Amino acid sequence: MLVLKLWNYFRGYVIIKVEGLALERFINICISKEIYLWDIKRVDHTTLEAKLSIQGFKSLRKIVRKTGCRVSINKKNGYPFRVHKLKKRKMLLVGAFFCFFLLILSSTFIFSIDVDGNEMLEDKEIISALDELGFKPGVNKYFVNLEDIETELLLDIEEIVWIEIEVKGIKAKVEIVEKRLIPEKIDKNTPCNVIAKKSGVIKEVIAKNGDAEVKEGDIVSEGDLLINGIVEREQMEKPLYIHSYGQVYAKTYYETTESKRLIEIKKEKTGEKFIKRTLKLGSLELSFNGGKIPYKFYVTEKKSKKPFQWRNIGLPVEIIVEEHYEVNQFEEKVDLEEAKNELHDKVISKLLEEIPVDAEILNNQIDFTTQGDVLYGKVIIEALEDIAIQKTLKIEED
Amino acid sequence: MKKNDEVKKSLAEILELPKDIMLDLPKIIMIGNLQIYIENHKGILEYTNNRIRINTKNGVLRIIGKNLVLKNIIIEEIVIVGEINQVEFID
Repeated sequence: MLVLKLWNYFRGYVIIKVEGLALERFINICISKEIYLWDIKRVDHTTLEAKLSIQGFKSLRKIVRKTGCRVSINKKNGYPFRVHKLKKRKMLLVGAFFCFFLLILSSTFIFSIDVDGNEMLEDKEIISALDELGFKPGVNKYFVNLEDIETELLLDIEEIVWIEIEVKGIKAKVEIVEKRLIPEKIDKNTPCNVIAKKSGVIKEVIAKNGDAEVKEGDIVSEGDLLINGIVEREQMEKPLYIHSYGQVYAKTYYETTESKRLIEIKKEKTGEKFIKRTLKLGSLELSFNGGKIPYKFYVTEKKSKKPFQWRNIGLPVEIIVEEHYEVNQFEEKVDLEEAKNELHDKVISKLLEEIPVDAEILNNQIDFTTQGDVLYGKVIIEALEDIAIQKTLKIEED
Repeated sequence: MKKNDEVKKSLAEILELPKDIMLDLPKIIMIGNLQIYIENHKGILEYTNNRIRINTKNGVLRIIGKNLVLKNIIIEEIVIVGEINQVEFID
């Protein structure tokens, strides 16, 4: 009867001691006067202990006189008495209230800032930029205008295209998207050279403006001059600086090597398992059934439970259950053809990431070599692509 | 008076009415030997740790046991908790 107990607690009750000779009479009169007594205990021949509500106790006086018993209060229990006690200790209430208030207040401050989504920019850079704008750990989240800070940060750091600051409790999450830098476009009137952005064998040069410096079959390496923007002729006094452009198609080669072990270690569970339970309190780890794992080869499955967790906050209590399954280990030879196919796919997909989309793949070649247990696959892809890129000329004024 | 009771008893049997109400008899429910619940009593005659005597319509109900506590007592019912050994009616 938990409900009844709670009800009695909230109403408040007293434990009384009744002394007298006619105790049964006392109980009977209480019943007839509708005074509710409960948990009546006979202490000895002349004494009795019972629980009684506050109202009941008040109307008890008349009966006491009638029966000639002596009634004294042993203990006061329940909510009304607690409140009465607390009323005397006002400072305790003030302190409790103050503590609660502080807790609420401190939860309105930002404690940490996480930056997410940055690739080129450093976390520090963004955090220090936010710091200058007034958004830093220790700032009250209700006193900062996030939208303003977002726009200001966009203006401050040019590399950021989009930003969102999300405040969750005491944590701020800054999510950004960086600008993808596109190659600088050179103005039409600016004199420039065309150089190679990759090394390769020249296949075709289409110089739309400027003098071609290379011809078919030439081997160029990265940064070599392809189309010259400085035009010099015999009959001219001064060289002419022009904005050269054009396409230079060259065969480029991409190569990479990958390896794969031909012997795989396979594991098979035998069905035996060993469970280890660990209780983690903060950084303290308590292991329940310790000891070493009795198997030579085993796989471990780890599960952790955090029992006192509410959303992402909670007590740092964690129960870790490690299940160690015994396994039999054996080596298995992988089929050579299968391994080759697998390796081929792996290498090609890796290489294709490097090759630009508009390049035309002319040829691909794969060589397999085995050294001991390891299979090596070397792939060379030959592609035809435009390697021209413009570079501004530095003109020394005469 | 006795005849009146006889009539009531047979009436209760015919109409299948609860006898405790018709005849004003106590209704006693026991839970193992841990708890006893007496409805429709006529007051307590004696109460000690080992023996409780309760007045009812058809005599005195005597309960003998150990550490008997009156858990609950109101005008209609009594709940006694403790180790109950004997329950008997004495005229």
